[in-house]
Amino acid sequence: MSGVVVVLERVPGGIASVCGEAAGAARALAGGGPVVGLLVGPGDSTAATELAVDKVLTADGPEFEHPSTAQLGALAAAAADAAPATTILFPGTARGRDGVGRTAIRWGASAATSVTEVTRDESGSLHVRRPVFGGRATEELELPGPRHVLSLKPHAFPLPPARSPPASSEPLAIPDSPKSSRPVEVTGFTPTAGGKGPELGDASIVVSGGRGLRSPENFGLVEELAESLGAAVGASRAVTDAGWRPGSYQVGQTGRAVSPQLYIALGISGAIQHIVGMVSSRVIVAVNSDPHAPIFQVADYGIVGDALQIVPALTREVRKARGL
Amino acid sequence: MEIAVLVKPVPDAETRLRPDASGQELDPEGVKWVAAGYDESAIEQALLLRESAPGTTVRAFSYGPIARAEEVLRSAIALGCDAATSVEAPPGTPPDGLAVARALGLAVARHPASLVLCGKQAGDDESGIVGPAVAELLGLPDFGVAVNVRWEGGIERLSIQRSVEGGLEGVRVTLPALVSLQQAWNDPRTAKLPNILKSRKAPIERIPVADVAAAIAPSASLLARRVAFRLPPPRTGAKMIEYSSPDDAAQKLVRILREEAKVFP
Repeated sequence: MSGVVVVLERVPGGIASVCGEAAGAARALAGGGPVVGLLVGPGDSTAATELAVDKVLTADGPEFEHPSTAQLGALAAAAADAAPATTILFPGTARGRDGVGRTAIRWGASAATSVTEVTRDESGSLHVRRPVFGGRATEELELPGPRHVLSLKPHAFPLPPARSPPASSEPLAIPDSPKSSRPVEVTGFTPTAGGKGPELGDASIVVSGGRGLRSPENFGLVEELAESLGAAVGASRAVTDAGWRPGSYQVGQTGRAVSPQLYIALGISGAIQHIVGMVSSRVIVAVNSDPHAPIFQVADYGIVGDALQIVPALTREVRKARGL
Repeated sequence: MEIAVLVKPVPDAETRLRPDASGQELDPEGVKWVAAGYDESAIEQALLLRESAPGTTVRAFSYGPIARAEEVLRSAIALGCDAATSVEAPPGTPPDGLAVARALGLAVARHPASLVLCGKQAGDDESGIVGPAVAELLGLPDFGVAVNVRWEGGIERLSIQRSVEGGLEGVRVTLPALVSLQQAWNDPRTAKLPNILKSRKAPIERIPVADVAAAIAPSASLLARRVAFRLPPPRTGAKMIEYSSPDDAAQKLVRILREEAKVFP
């Protein structure tokens, strides 16, 4: 019996999808122990209770609307003691991951982030695998027990189906310490420029375009294909440097690193600085007119051809196949 | 006003990765050690903040085998940092972020700073554990993934922007605090040759290794042990799709994604 607390992060309209993945991974780790969601911040808890958890503990005071890492860590430790649990999973989001190091120190646990595989041995140690060097290598770690704090790499674990009936929820007894640590003083939020569809770092499919599109207008073909697939749109540095699309689209060493289930590179030659940002994707498809383009070395499937001709045909075919 | 910057030595981007004989670590043979990219952003941010707050001093801290730590500290000095402290890794200590945090926490506590800056993660292990763990040890609030950091009306507060899912979050930070950088809003400067030469002779404070070992001790039983360092099976190149027309190529690809790769939505 080794219960697991899954820290849930609110996003507009629900809970970050990576938290659902964590709930599924938690079940395998808990070994019959409880899987408890911790929902921090005021608001509706329905979406949280439909995740694959046994119970949801809530900390819904107004002081937790923008929780600090210190507050999250103290609440997670309190939830783990209440559950009871020996493992805390933070969401692999920009804010969630910062909870790992802090909570490990506070709670006296071992720690690892961006985990892609995890198992527990008889001694209570966890064995984890995680990508390093931008996905160019992996490391396997043995994390001594009994307590562990982890975050999981987005999309490394399957999303379990929603549970029905919903789990029960009840308020967490708030320890003193998070009351004394101050919430984050948020002064504003600017949504990422452009980009309909899912967010680049969170998407299970990413469609990226490069210089092979030849003009900013043609880049619209990339966006149409992405829309037909429900994918996020990315770009090579050549595209963002040329100002065809904002810097927030850039996938690569100096942009965003992504690891979706499916990455489609259109008219991207595959400079090393782009490759390191997408090479850990599960399946990679490349379309490029140059049969010797380095992108074909890292792709699983390749089409040699002009993106301007292939992409519209692909969009039509995807729409047909999906009944759109 | 004191600013501390935490800088990790990592293999430079050109390094050819391969496991050592034990299969547990990167083979260090011939590796050139440089400051981690996001930590360079932290140095740049510290220097920019110093420019607009006269009297501020910036001290860089680095943990690791002493030669590596001092190499990156000299580059930090060449860029313009005022002082540097090296924190020698006790031989045999596993490369775990909790150990690094305890060691750096000790060093920073000896030079109390209003602001601690670091990168959000280093380009080798990409853990992101050290910054928030140092904040916990020093009793500071921490703010991650900052892309832009400015003074807000004096040197008591900062206004920062954080790159979170879906956009940029504006946050007001009351010091003291730790801020981790995702990317500087302008490109880090490069060091000028005379400064590089001068940095070769600059004094670097050393924290005695016995002190470092004592600081790490409370986490000693919790440190992760690396049991394998592996390269992915070499990608052998794409399976090329032969086709007679763009429509034919599209049909074949959709069929493959659906039936073979099983990633079609």
